[in-house]
Amino acid sequence: MSKKRVWAVLFLATTLLLSACSKGESGAATENATGENNESAGSGLKPAKLKIVLYGDESARMKELAKTEFKDIVKKEINAEVEFQFIPWTEYGGGKTDLMLSTGEDFATYTDTNYMVKSVAKGLYADLTPYMDSAAADMKKTVDEHSFKAFQLGGKQYAVPVGNKPNSGEFYSVLVRQDLLEEVGMSGVSSLTELEQFYEKALAAHPELVGYASTDARRLLMYEYTDKNLYWQNDFLALDESAQDDKIISWFESEEFKAYTQIMRSWYERAIIPKYAATNTPQLQSDWNSGKAMFWAGTAARPFEGAATISQAVPDAKLTNYFLSKDLPKISRGTYSTAWFVSASAADPERYVMFFNLLQKNQELYDLFAYGIQDKDYTVDENGRLTRLTTDALIPDWLMMNKNFMRFDKSVPDDFIEQYKAWDDEAVISKGAGFNFDNTPVKNEETKMGGVFSEFLAPIASGFLDYDENFPRALEKLKAAGFDKYIAEYQKQFSEWYAAK
Amino acid sequence: MANQENRTLIVIFYLCIGVFALICLAPFVLAVSGSLSTEAKLAAEGYSFLPRSITLDTYKFMFDSKAEQIIQAYVVSVAVTVIGTASAVLVTTAYAYVITAKGFRYRNFFAFLAYFTMLFSGGTLPWYILSTKYYHLDDTLAGLFVPYLLNVFLMYLQANYFKSIPHEVIESAQIDGAGHFRIFFRIMLPLGQVGLVTISLFYALQFWNDFYLSLMLISDERLYTIQYMMYFMMANIQYLASGNSAQIGGAVVAPPLETAKMAMTCLTVLPIAILYPFLQRYFVRGIIVGSVKG
Amino acid sequence: MSDEALQRSITAGRKSRLQALRNDSPLLLLALPGVIVLVLFAYLPMSGLILVFKNYNYNGGIFGSPWAGFDNFDFFFSSMDSAIRATRNTVMLNVLYMLTGTFFSVAIAIILNELRSRSFIKITQSVMFFPYFISWIVIGAILFSLLDFDKGLLNRLFETVGMQPVDWYSNPWLFVVILVAANIWKSAGYGAIIYYAVLQGIDTSYYEAARIDGASRVQLMTRITLPLLIPSIIMLTLLGIGGMLKGDLSMIMGVTFLNPLLLPTTDIIDVYVYRTAIRSGEFGFASAITLYQSVFGFLLVLIANKLAGWYDKESKLF
Repeated sequence: MSKKRVWAVLFLATTLLLSACSKGESGAATENATGENNESAGSGLKPAKLKIVLYGDESARMKELAKTEFKDIVKKEINAEVEFQFIPWTEYGGGKTDLMLSTGEDFATYTDTNYMVKSVAKGLYADLTPYMDSAAADMKKTVDEHSFKAFQLGGKQYAVPVGNKPNSGEFYSVLVRQDLLEEVGMSGVSSLTELEQFYEKALAAHPELVGYASTDARRLLMYEYTDKNLYWQNDFLALDESAQDDKIISWFESEEFKAYTQIMRSWYERAIIPKYAATNTPQLQSDWNSGKAMFWAGTAARPFEGAATISQAVPDAKLTNYFLSKDLPKISRGTYSTAWFVSASAADPERYVMFFNLLQKNQELYDLFAYGIQDKDYTVDENGRLTRLTTDALIPDWLMMNKNFMRFDKSVPDDFIEQYKAWDDEAVISKGAGFNFDNTPVKNEETKMGGVFSEFLAPIASGFLDYDENFPRALEKLKAAGFDKYIAEYQKQFSEWYAAK
Repeated sequence: MANQENRTLIVIFYLCIGVFALICLAPFVLAVSGSLSTEAKLAAEGYSFLPRSITLDTYKFMFDSKAEQIIQAYVVSVAVTVIGTASAVLVTTAYAYVITAKGFRYRNFFAFLAYFTMLFSGGTLPWYILSTKYYHLDDTLAGLFVPYLLNVFLMYLQANYFKSIPHEVIESAQIDGAGHFRIFFRIMLPLGQVGLVTISLFYALQFWNDFYLSLMLISDERLYTIQYMMYFMMANIQYLASGNSAQIGGAVVAPPLETAKMAMTCLTVLPIAILYPFLQRYFVRGIIVGSVKG
Repeated sequence: MSDEALQRSITAGRKSRLQALRNDSPLLLLALPGVIVLVLFAYLPMSGLILVFKNYNYNGGIFGSPWAGFDNFDFFFSSMDSAIRATRNTVMLNVLYMLTGTFFSVAIAIILNELRSRSFIKITQSVMFFPYFISWIVIGAILFSLLDFDKGLLNRLFETVGMQPVDWYSNPWLFVVILVAANIWKSAGYGAIIYYAVLQGIDTSYYEAARIDGASRVQLMTRITLPLLIPSIIMLTLLGIGGMLKGDLSMIMGVTFLNPLLLPTTDIIDVYVYRTAIRSGEFGFASAITLYQSVFGFLLVLIANKLAGWYDKESKLF
């Protein structure tokens, strides 16, 4: 009896194996067949095949649309067969993405400036410069030109911004739980003293809450500890945007850093930053998401993005951005931090650029790719407000986000939208925008500094350790890692670039 | 006296093992109860052995509109585990027999050949290039188990079990004129059954738990394994929870990060951990009987 | 004459070689599937080890990229104090894991061997290897709910009995104990199953003879059962020694969340490489250090294998 059962299982498994293999083949065959039929489409372009890799889960609706409407419209507009492949988020910026690049697969996906610089040095990205004028004409009108510049290296365009959203002054504002603020009888926050006052009062009313749900507040506190308008290039280096020079500031060695750590130390000791922050950073995020924190670092979009998340736990949560103390111009790196790139071995990079262009071409196409089909996936009311009828994500709308096209949910107040759209109006483009550091000469130093940062400097910066006691040793370690050579190289490259500009 | 002493000793032994087993079981109970809680409750009140209020929200979030795909993934996982374990056990025991065969001149060479790969590896890139461009294992069911057919650690375990079989048994068979094949299939496999049970268990768990091969080689959804689906979802949930992608246009998803971790444990580890011990006897007998006849 | 003799001896030599091949050929055939797997998925990819000495770029590929010599090792060995600390931590934790892990696995196996209730053994046995398959992330989350300073179960317990709460996550040496305990919990059951299986294959006549001689239960355990396990202990230890310089990044990440205050003892080689090379995207640096770990493990295992051979030829790995 039992023998028979075992064989039955093995048999079943084998047939499954065979059917799976044959399925794969027949699928490929039908694809070819459909590829040849459509000759008239795409205004005389040769047929092409595009593979777009996206990170995250593919929703059921996306799967459907990828085979129908999305496919058809791309075919019609640019005569290309587009295929979407979804891979897990862990593979972004390395992992499988790098393997696919290294084995010469023909595909496109998105990147950021850091990852781009490294990949271009290895020759993994296609140079898109020749196609920008012809293939990306529409999107040049709908996307801010500084965003394009951010993805140029040595004058060549290696990636194309995915969208266009206000991004100046990111994390320079305090995002406050307005509902709590009003509950304790305050109307706004305009200084550190008021912020701490808010903390004390809110804590008295809700002892279970934590204050600040992050370990980094150098930007939002900047207005308190310095008159400069600091703009960070990375963890170690900053620029003073209010000075007209090309001087790179060593952040950790500055007086400003010392002043900053003193505020952070007091926050940590007063439990404004909870004790567990030193260990369990992910917990901070989930505390904020579940409405257990009072304030956070803000961005233009966070008041409604964040409120939407928190509202699951606290239905009437409201969020407002405040800048502390001073009125300094908001700085923008003039870029959307995410951009499409095409693999070096792509057969037809131009067609990929045409596809990116399609996503940002006009309201109609934007609606289709971000929200789906009207009245089936979403409805728009007389005020242009959006109601989605499905929770399935398509091409993720945070990725596509363009302030000229995006639609807002009914729950977002009008003044928010106005504020949001005007957020960048007064902003100043950073004097370092578009500069990309070539780290080849100081790779070793940079790598070692990373180790010193995570072990010695980060805990001081977050106030977990006292500055006076621990900084001298940390600085010694930083110098031993070759920081002086690193900053000299950075300054040299930056000055050359700045002079040329 | 001695008897009395023995009895207390036995009681103590039962207690030791029982307590240790309970300690091992505890996190699973916490995981099950955590997966049945809501994210907010878990954050507020922490873990507990009994769920404070039962909700299937997390499972709904994970299964939402995916039921069919998940069933398909379970089928693939079962197939990979069954085929993979059966073939891996044969490959491994045969190799283990070779490196324990007394008087075989090259046994040390083969032992070393295997051991060396435990220490040195050429990294992912060449492995990936070979597997996709030359062996064409991408998007095939074979790609989900063939690379793992010889686990050197388990091979050494099996060799160790073979060594404990009295040499006289083999010698007398040799005198009767039995060749290596006959000795391996008719004597070593049945006598080394305890070892087979152990390594087949470990192999089964290895194949069941693996997501790496799927991650590297599979892009066809029909070949996703359940572990890979979970890995995929988890990576996605972690990303969503990091707050980078909250959606503006209406439908909002607040992903259940902590509870999802727990649910994932329940959905992947539990089925095999609970079922396999009951199935292993049949399974191993199947392998032995099958190979003797074949 | 001499020619003929030579001829004869040659044919004889050929014959004996042929004879040997015929004797060996079934064995070679049995090893073949395993050899194929090893060659395809381990030896051919080892060509990638060249990359450690190269500056990889896409156009050059594995073989055409420019040579970098030992440049990829520089970042690690040019900050000697970090390299030494990371190596020390790795070896220290691994030795502790190995000693405690083996002790508990063997003890559990020996005790299980004394029990007679089949169903009890079956159930506990399958429960005990559960932990091996829970990811460190989940273990870390559960451990955190035990050890958190403000809300952790342990500190709340301490408070109710009037003791001072302990700040677990800022004491690096206390954390060594926690890591060792977590490792025992995770792997002792797995190891016990391996040893217990060895005991099940053993002839019961050993015990009967000893029992007739009037040996007590404890004596049976220490004088018969334990010695029977020694070859297996040696083998598993030898297998472990090769990995002496390799550490489990996911464990440290899951359990300590890479808390900087704990790094003095938890900064093992893999963690250091993760914090530096992998975070900054220098994967060439990372694979260089993997090679360093392998080479050292290899040297250690060669020595250990020699030592094991003096004890008993059969317990050598190769």
